[in-house]
Amino acid sequence: MVGARWPVHSAHRAKCIDFFHIFTTEVSHLQLSLSARPRPRGLWLAAAVAVLAACVLAGAALAPGGAGKGGPFAVTQLAPKSAPNPLAGRLTKVYGTNIPASRYGTEVADLEDEGTNLAGEQISELSPLPAAAFTAPVDEYRAYSERWIAHALSGAVALQHALAAGERTAAMSAWEATWSDYLHLGAVYLNGAAEAANRAIDGTPGELPGGTSDPHFTGLHRIEMGLWGGQTLSSLIGFAVLLQHDLSALRGIVAHVEITPLEYATRSHEIIEDDQRDLLSGMDVPWSRQGVLGTAAGLAATEEVFHTLEPLLSGRENTEGEVRVELLMLHGVLASMRARHHGQYPNLSGLSIYEHEQLNGYVAGALSALEEMPGTLETKVRPPVPRLPEPSRVERAEERAAEKVAGGAP
Amino acid sequence: MSRLDRRQFFSRSAALIGTTGLGVGAVAGAAAEAQSRAGAPAQSATEQARAALASELATRVPFDAPHQAGVLTRAQAQGSFVALDAVAPNRSTLVAALRNLSTRARSLTQGDTVGAEELDDPPPDSGILGPFNAPDQLTVTIAFGASLFDARYGLQALKPKGLERMPNFPHDNLEPARTHGDVLVSVCAGQRDTVTHTVRELMRSVVGHLTPRWRIDGFQGARRGPTPANNPRNLFAFRDGTANPDVGDASLMDELIWVQPGTGEPAWAVGGTYQVVRTIRMHVEFWDRVGMFEQQSMIGRYRVSGAPLGGTNEFEDPRYDLDPEGKRIPLIAHIRLANPRTPQTANQRILRRGYNYDRGIDEAGNLDQGLVFVAFNQDIQRQFATIQTRLEAEEMVDYITPVGGGYFFAPPGAHGPGDWVGSGLFT
Repeated sequence: MVGARWPVHSAHRAKCIDFFHIFTTEVSHLQLSLSARPRPRGLWLAAAVAVLAACVLAGAALAPGGAGKGGPFAVTQLAPKSAPNPLAGRLTKVYGTNIPASRYGTEVADLEDEGTNLAGEQISELSPLPAAAFTAPVDEYRAYSERWIAHALSGAVALQHALAAGERTAAMSAWEATWSDYLHLGAVYLNGAAEAANRAIDGTPGELPGGTSDPHFTGLHRIEMGLWGGQTLSSLIGFAVLLQHDLSALRGIVAHVEITPLEYATRSHEIIEDDQRDLLSGMDVPWSRQGVLGTAAGLAATEEVFHTLEPLLSGRENTEGEVRVELLMLHGVLASMRARHHGQYPNLSGLSIYEHEQLNGYVAGALSALEEMPGTLETKVRPPVPRLPEPSRVERAEERAAEKVAGGAP
Repeated sequence: MSRLDRRQFFSRSAALIGTTGLGVGAVAGAAAEAQSRAGAPAQSATEQARAALASELATRVPFDAPHQAGVLTRAQAQGSFVALDAVAPNRSTLVAALRNLSTRARSLTQGDTVGAEELDDPPPDSGILGPFNAPDQLTVTIAFGASLFDARYGLQALKPKGLERMPNFPHDNLEPARTHGDVLVSVCAGQRDTVTHTVRELMRSVVGHLTPRWRIDGFQGARRGPTPANNPRNLFAFRDGTANPDVGDASLMDELIWVQPGTGEPAWAVGGTYQVVRTIRMHVEFWDRVGMFEQQSMIGRYRVSGAPLGGTNEFEDPRYDLDPEGKRIPLIAHIRLANPRTPQTANQRILRRGYNYDRGIDEAGNLDQGLVFVAFNQDIQRQFATIQTRLEAEEMVDYITPVGGGYFFAPPGAHGPGDWVGSGLFT
């Protein structure tokens, strides 16, 4: 079903930092001034995206190093090799047509709201995409993942050196860089051998029978526990060596890992969902409390997934525009937060109550938009559920007996 | 019928205290019958609600019985589960604490009058329910964890053979401070204030000997129909408890719930049952982002009716035999893994008695809601653990995180005043 959902996710925007306040003010003016025109909603969308992009550029520029490393949208200071933010000014065609995406915000979305496409045909969000359309996005994402594993591997080597040198502060910084690089993978849908490797690299003790004492508790969180828990640095060197081994193994696996269209489309919202559940709650980072840093890395991974899927999203409902705006807003919040904290993402304990609420709100807003992606990117129409045969008289009697049991006296 | 005011209710309830042997619902039923016989004029909604509450508050569940109450008892609206650790310095002090626990539980479950006290002394009862503690369907179920059978009290040789420390299952994230415990006290009643009062009083009765380790409070969804038989919903909005075994079938309960003689269990454990409690966080915001088709496919039932997919009635047989490839109900749907309904899995069935919980928000601003999964079974390995292992394949594991709970053993009930739950362990 198609429909204008644009205003749905607006509640959390009441808590804006300054440049978002400017954004909302601008949007209100636009809405007022354009109210008499034939397609205010489309223009509103285009204007909102443009104004937001400018605002976030300004926000990112406030962050030390933000504008100078590989492009103005580099997500994390700890990831100097980051590619430019993929959200910046990418033009595509509406999938399967010659229609420039720049027209999306005007004609296409408005027509979709009426349930038709530019050819006047009836459309639905369940109109399936060919599965082959995902080949290029998944290939691009796989290459992206391999690059970030390589970054993480370099970080793990630096971590080992810092541990061997007995420098705890340097080792903590190296751990943060390595962990952030690794989370750029957004590795929530690894399976088989890749899942086992991921567990060795980023597994948490809660899922192991012996908890923190379990011999299989290795990897980044084992080192985190040692670094922030005051264990001797020399006792952690072996884990750093093992980490390099596991990362190397994963690099070989990821190149061939199979990712289905559904998995890939679902990944777009599950990366930040996991960040919200496991990192912003502090659950998976009890020692370092680096939930904000991890969320920023998860956002970068989500942006990459979104970027690769944009050609498929264009012209299908409002999803592309809604996701783009929400990701830009979350990106801007994280960038301004890092700027306020002297170029570092604060740990969860260092967030003010307002910052924490703001981050929680924008993460929730982003998820509200991202949840549309799997439905928008359906590759098949679901068959109707087969009906159960009409029960026999005996079966009816059994059902009534079961009902009697359930509804009996307390 | 004349308006039933508070004072009348108290006097009627007090009179009922002297009556023994009344089962659950007997008092409520008698009240309704009396009203019917009198040919009373129709009550207003307010009066009906008042009368219903009065009947509910007056309803008692016997404490002394061959099996403990709170197992087969239909789940009351409110519950609290309190795990305690024994800090008693020796065996005799532990015995005294457990005896006190049962004595106070017996008194509260049957209803008691708050006694007069010396003005200079602290009141013997917190008094938050007023001068009379109405029974309100209250049950107090006492169970022991594996850790009670360590060397501290010399109970090692008496440990029920199937009682062990609950393991971490693959998708668990158990928090030590919310897991395990020496003694579990399950307090269930019709009203929240009854449960709150009972927990407070029971903890007073064992202070200094049993100390709290964790606690979780829960509530039942209201039975909103469409028929009285339809089960209430959990916080994923699906009906819970549909395929529970029939608690009125005594022989079935002997097969599935109660520990039997001649099974290698210690004699004191016969008539008891294993209790599994799992605090399962449900990531409701995640769930709310899942399409209805996917939600229903994960569960295997329609959300609104509770009927198995393809059916129309909550209590309809899902007929897996007609769907071997999972085209109607996926092979990894929750209901299919939990209860495959085959002759081979019939003796794996458990009695679920769970409660929803809602305990605020987490650091990420998400609602901390979920299920206090409570199940009773005769043999944890044969039943709960087997089912739980099958459920590792379900897709719902992405939307839930078990964070606490434990394995416990609920001994048989007390024989009467003077006896106490667990006494067989020390004779």
